[in-house]
Amino acid sequence: MRRPDELVDGAAHALSTRLAGGLTRRSFLGRMGGAVLALTGGAAVAAAVRPEESEAFHLCGHIWTTGSCPSPMGWPRIDRQGYPLRPGDGRPIDNLGRLVNAEGFAIDSAGERLVGPDGEPLPRAPRTRLCEEWIKERYGLNSHTQGSWYRCCGNQIRKLVDCCSRSTRRINGDASLVGYCWNGNRVFCVMYYDSGLSC
Amino acid sequence: MVETFTPAVCGSRRRQRLALAGFAVGAVAASALVGAALGAVGAVLGTQLAFLVAALALLAAAREAGIVRVPLPQLRRQVPERWRSELPLPVWSVGYGIGLGLGFLTFQPVATFWVACAAAVALGKPLAAGLCFAAYGAGRALMAAWPRYGQPDPTAAVEGLARRRRFLLLGNVVALLVCAGLLAAAPTAGAAIQTQALGAGLDPAATWSVVGRARMNSGSSTVLLEPRDGTPIAIAGAAAPAVDGGLLAYDDAQGVKVINWRTGELVASVGGQVAKPALDWPLLAFVRTDSTYKRLVVADFTDPASPVERVIVRISAGNDLGRPSLAAGRIAWHKLTATSSTIFAQRLATGRRSVIARSSVFVLANPSITSTRIVWVRQSSRSSILRLRRWASPAVRGIYRTTGSTRLLWTTALTGRTAYVTRWSLRTGASTLVRVNF
Repeated sequence: MRRPDELVDGAAHALSTRLAGGLTRRSFLGRMGGAVLALTGGAAVAAAVRPEESEAFHLCGHIWTTGSCPSPMGWPRIDRQGYPLRPGDGRPIDNLGRLVNAEGFAIDSAGERLVGPDGEPLPRAPRTRLCEEWIKERYGLNSHTQGSWYRCCGNQIRKLVDCCSRSTRRINGDASLVGYCWNGNRVFCVMYYDSGLSC
Repeated sequence: MVETFTPAVCGSRRRQRLALAGFAVGAVAASALVGAALGAVGAVLGTQLAFLVAALALLAAAREAGIVRVPLPQLRRQVPERWRSELPLPVWSVGYGIGLGLGFLTFQPVATFWVACAAAVALGKPLAAGLCFAAYGAGRALMAAWPRYGQPDPTAAVEGLARRRRFLLLGNVVALLVCAGLLAAAPTAGAAIQTQALGAGLDPAATWSVVGRARMNSGSSTVLLEPRDGTPIAIAGAAAPAVDGGLLAYDDAQGVKVINWRTGELVASVGGQVAKPALDWPLLAFVRTDSTYKRLVVADFTDPASPVERVIVRISAGNDLGRPSLAAGRIAWHKLTATSSTIFAQRLATGRRSVIARSSVFVLANPSITSTRIVWVRQSSRSSILRLRRWASPAVRGIYRTTGSTRLLWTTALTGRTAYVTRWSLRTGASTLVRVNF
């Protein structure tokens, strides 16, 4: 009878042989990338990153390795001024991830103001820019929205934006690059803005 | 023990290793189970026991030093000899390990084991206590294996250990004294935080002898006051209770009232668009709202016939002042705007105001204060944390945490070393009062 470690080795060898024979490198990496995202990023994200779009690192259009800026709902979708938006539909949200109306009060999907446990409408929560306010408070950096580039994602033009600072470490913890930043700044984290323009 | 596994000229090295492994597994598993069970008992008890255990450790140290004579609870038994001849090696070696790993089925030469048991109960965390006790089982296994290695004669190793007994006992005394010191400091360090849900309610108010809350029912609020040694009192149509000794403040449709909750006598009232009272009699704080501003007001009822009002702060009506807290000559409140949230505290005598915490990212809200401490809630999109700080130190720590966007923390109360916080669901609006002993 084979030893347990020999059984495991044999199974791994058989699996790798089958994978190498049946898939190209690109499609294999794409499927693995989608699988990893499904585990770590949620089903919605995995559905968005199909194998043929997997030139993205962790979000469509972003082919480098810098991590996302912190945001209320995990995905750093912003409006033109850098304020957070709900990733799925682009509606404005506050720092707690709640939909908000034009005055900044939390609302439900029907537009009614949310109420607290006492039945009174909830007060406003801060709604601040992911780069200029969030990074400054959480990392102590003077950060600025600087460089950007454009990609076609989901049939619309996406603007990917660098949040830049003087830090020689990026949000991932490793060395930062200049990227598209200027004035001595380096890329700290990235965000994105979906224009809605067809491509 | 190692010569029990493989008596002289009987049994191979492989047999010995197998038996030692089985013994170690049994000892570690059994001791971890004991620790976890004791930790679970402590979690159920939910009481601060750290000081008691520190006292026990001191008593144990005195016993080990020979200062006092205290008998130890123990079963003067050894592992069953007949198992070796009746059962297979893996079974009896694991069984021996379990027997010794449990700790209380055999001799106890020192009191340390019982101090460790009490500490596990005081810890109140089954996983942590189980891990700590697993070390006890590992120690048992080590003592079974150690004499054999590097020694031609295991007996000589054990005799050498016995000759050093005096120093080992002295080391045990020192260890118990250190434990006593750490346990005495533990509540301050946050090691003994206990939480308990107290049922439906919101807007807690508390003194040593009474806990108050509001309860919502079909859109209307009732204040419920639960004295430690009396019958609960309910006041219909009232909300946002604040207590100070025998006095209760609340808001209702007419404004803010202060009553003697034992007799029901009305002591003071403020009419108009006022709400969210805080009470440190003869001082009464509340929020007055009009179409343009919200004002935090402190009214001095030293002369009940002509109270003197003072505006502490004024903000635009679109922002939020929350529920203030009054104690020991200080007032605390929060300010929530679209760009930041801030916790303020102000000394009433001098007007000196300080910023306790500020954020452009998180929601900081609903502070409560005593003469020595302040608590408030910090909320993000992923979690809510009840934060605590002493006035004398800038260090802040979290003492209670919930995660998710539908399990949120709301208003707070603080008395002594007990905090109360409203925990509520965004989805259903239902709220529960939680007590946090720290």
